[in-house]
Amino acid sequence: MDSDVLLVIVVATALAFDFTNGFHDTANVVATAISTRAVPPRVAVLFASILNFVGAFVSLKVAATVASGIVDPDQITMTIVFAGLVGAIAWNLATWYFGLPSSSSHALIGGLVGSTVAAAGTGAVDGNGLLSKVIVPALIAPVLAFVVAGVAILVIYAIVGRMRPGPVTRGFRLGQLGSGGLLALSHGTNDAQKTMGIITLALVANGNISADNFHVPDWVVISSASAIALGTYIGGWRIIRTMGSRIIKMDSAQGFSSQSAGAVVILASSHFGYPLSTTHVINGGIMGAGAAKRLSAVRWGVAGNIVAAWILTLPAAAAGGALVYGLTRIFGTGATGPVVVLAAIVLGATALFGRRYREAMTPA
Amino acid sequence: MNLATVIDWNALGKVVLYSLAAGIGVPAVYAVAVLGAGRSVDAQRGGRGVLATVLALVAFVGGAACLGAIAYGIYLLTQKS
Repeated sequence: MDSDVLLVIVVATALAFDFTNGFHDTANVVATAISTRAVPPRVAVLFASILNFVGAFVSLKVAATVASGIVDPDQITMTIVFAGLVGAIAWNLATWYFGLPSSSSHALIGGLVGSTVAAAGTGAVDGNGLLSKVIVPALIAPVLAFVVAGVAILVIYAIVGRMRPGPVTRGFRLGQLGSGGLLALSHGTNDAQKTMGIITLALVANGNISADNFHVPDWVVISSASAIALGTYIGGWRIIRTMGSRIIKMDSAQGFSSQSAGAVVILASSHFGYPLSTTHVINGGIMGAGAAKRLSAVRWGVAGNIVAAWILTLPAAAAGGALVYGLTRIFGTGATGPVVVLAAIVLGATALFGRRYREAMTPA
Repeated sequence: MNLATVIDWNALGKVVLYSLAAGIGVPAVYAVAVLGAGRSVDAQRGGRGVLATVLALVAFVGGAACLGAIAYGIYLLTQKS
């Protein structure tokens, strides 16, 4: 009974994490298409939401990496998965509140590694898997997107550079329907699979799935796809309302090349099971398309934030995961610890949101 | 820990290669399609009907090739091996 309650808590927490992932990332996925006026904002958000959902069904290799390539599934308990998830959520909340850069994907993996080390020691973490499937691809992918987008925009300018601006703008706005759609699809593919991997790991820990006969159940795929798509859709309405100077200015050819670069890097990485920070890759593509035209067009502050997020997120979320595991175990191995910790997180998050809301409402 | 043996350079190399090929190749072909469409309209206005048709065909083939490449890429992704 206790384990079933715990499983429900872990699945609900994982889906909540997936929802917030979509909620946060809508801006990355649709901003380029909206800023070049390729698509009206409402259509862009709906389009992105649907393709996020579809993308979650494309591949399961990233889910397999998260579920079996980073930690030893045989040594994982549901409390470990829960603590890893809460460590990631706590880190995301803290970085959101203090305005620090972060990455949901790195936080999730960091949290899981931290809680695993706290519970079962370093032997339960596959160090080689962590390095080869997470850390090295995380370093390479944004740089690759930067280079691909930069070279692509130079090639595009070489081909259409002598044309009148009107037909070029219209042509690449049309192209952005395809590249923007592919980007949303790739986002759903990589990010939703991380949640699928976490839920599958919990199912293995609970004995619902054998570690030797690893597979992702259909209901896990459908619920993860739905959570990220819903998050994207609801997050989009917030973006539409607050849209303005935060979105960078670029021409439609730059938008097209940056979206294409982001999409192909995420899709190619997903094919080999690499869980990436899609935010970092998309920003890498945007900066590459900007730098190729004019170095000063690049928001180097964003580049600095990405580097800081690389350095900070994994160890900080790992410390969070380990801490949450320790707190949870104070109450034993049953469902009591997770229930108490979850209640504390919900209360803490509500207090943070309330404080931010009051600050926003108070005249300066 | 030896990086040379731990990292699957073959898989990472393929990610880099596929990304460069698709991320630069498809936009380049699409740019040719945009060029063909724009020049086709100009040729039409200049009364050069045959050239306009040929350029329109270039635009169509370029656009179709991009769609085909995207469809093929997604097909490859859905394959299990």
